[in-house]
Amino acid sequence: MELLEIKDLTKSYDKKIALNNINIKIESGKIVGLLGQNGAGKTTLIKLINDLLTPDKGEILVNGKKVGIESKKIIAYLPEKTYLNKQMKVVEVLEYFKDFYDDFDLEKAKKLLLDLNLDINQKLSTMSKGMQEKVQLVLVMSRNADLYILDEPLGGVDPATRDYILDTILSNFKENASVIISTHLISDIERILDEIIFIKDGSVILQSDADSLRNKEHSSIDEIFRRMFKC
Amino acid sequence: MLKKLLKYDLKYMLKNMSVFYILTIFFALTTRLFFSLNQTIIIQVISQISVGIMYALIANTLINTLMRSWLRFRDSIYKDEAYLTHTLPVSKNNIYDSKFIQTLVFFIAGFMVIILALFIAYYTKERWQLLKEFINTITTGLDFKPVVFISGFLAVVFLELFNAIQCGFLGIILGHKKYQNKTAFSVLFGFVVYLVSQSLVLAMSYVVGLFNESIMNLFKFNYLVDTNAFKLLMILAIILYVVIIFITSIICKKELNKGVNVE
Repeated sequence: MELLEIKDLTKSYDKKIALNNINIKIESGKIVGLLGQNGAGKTTLIKLINDLLTPDKGEILVNGKKVGIESKKIIAYLPEKTYLNKQMKVVEVLEYFKDFYDDFDLEKAKKLLLDLNLDINQKLSTMSKGMQEKVQLVLVMSRNADLYILDEPLGGVDPATRDYILDTILSNFKENASVIISTHLISDIERILDEIIFIKDGSVILQSDADSLRNKEHSSIDEIFRRMFKC
Repeated sequence: MLKKLLKYDLKYMLKNMSVFYILTIFFALTTRLFFSLNQTIIIQVISQISVGIMYALIANTLINTLMRSWLRFRDSIYKDEAYLTHTLPVSKNNIYDSKFIQTLVFFIAGFMVIILALFIAYYTKERWQLLKEFINTITTGLDFKPVVFISGFLAVVFLELFNAIQCGFLGIILGHKKYQNKTAFSVLFGFVVYLVSQSLVLAMSYVVGLFNESIMNLFKFNYLVDTNAFKLLMILAIILYVVIIFITSIICKKELNKGVNVE
């Protein structure tokens, strides 16, 4: 059984179609790059998997079950936005995650925060946006989830921090779990990808094993992307 | 999971409301203090300012609870915090129930703070006696036991408030089904739902009036013809509000369970 299966998924905003009849299958133990230009439909797809949007048509199955309480227990999601209540301290947010997610590793989270020199007694409202994003990354990567979905985790950060974020992701996700990373900064993540999904204008135009594609096209994923999405 | 959600919702409200509760009690104390002093012109001016602030804070206790409950509901379910709310492994019904209970708890807390503030500011044996006599006069005239009258009156006031809160919740849910002008539609739908609920209470009272002359007389004359009508109307209002709140709650949960579209 696939970890994630998306069947004939369609979503529109008013009259604009954001996703058009999408079909995707993702197995366990894969790092998948969800790649496409801005506005291609990557975030819409991710929000649908996480129950933040309601599909017009189609079905999303996680471990064979429809999106719901059970799927949320095994998906760790990092959105683009800073979504934590700014009135809370980091330590309170840790407690919150511990309360709601059985797979949350509190000690691991504390260690990661310490590595990042983040004070757990600091209020989120006094932190910069970048610091809040790091806290969110730590929270998500401290879960022993089956599927990690990271929406633009590298967006708006400097190259050094990008490396740190990638290392944090790579060294902290559960064995045999899958990771979906949505980004348009392909060169930064190319080295870690097992599979790629190209999305263009709300449709999946390519889903392939990363190595097979590189061998077939004799070029990097980044170059293939640039050719396929040339304006 | 409801307990856990409630724990954080109550904590949030307590953080925000406690400062107003403390200020209300503080100005109730200053009111009492300044009125107990020798009333020179300066003391009189300060006393009046203190009374003014206390009443402003009393009004704020209710309005703030109402507005904050609606905003908290909107922010948790449709704004940035929704990214956390909807990815928690909890049911939509639990999310809704937690918000509703949180509002209920803080309205009761707000009323208690108001009663305490008024008690601190104005209590004297004479005034207490006067109040008791006033209530006795009303309840004797209406053929009520004082405790029953006060309980019934408070029940109607609370249920009316909860109805207003829930109409606001439903308005927010319906407003956020639109793709544009969500806030404007939320206010509009909330207002429409409230008007519909009030019209239902009135219509149902009229229907009951068709079978009960005491109630019908309330529609025919602009004064209380029969004290029995007051009792019946109070019971009827309580039943109708409970039914309407229950139905609105089911509609809210059903709409939430159909799914959300978070910006």
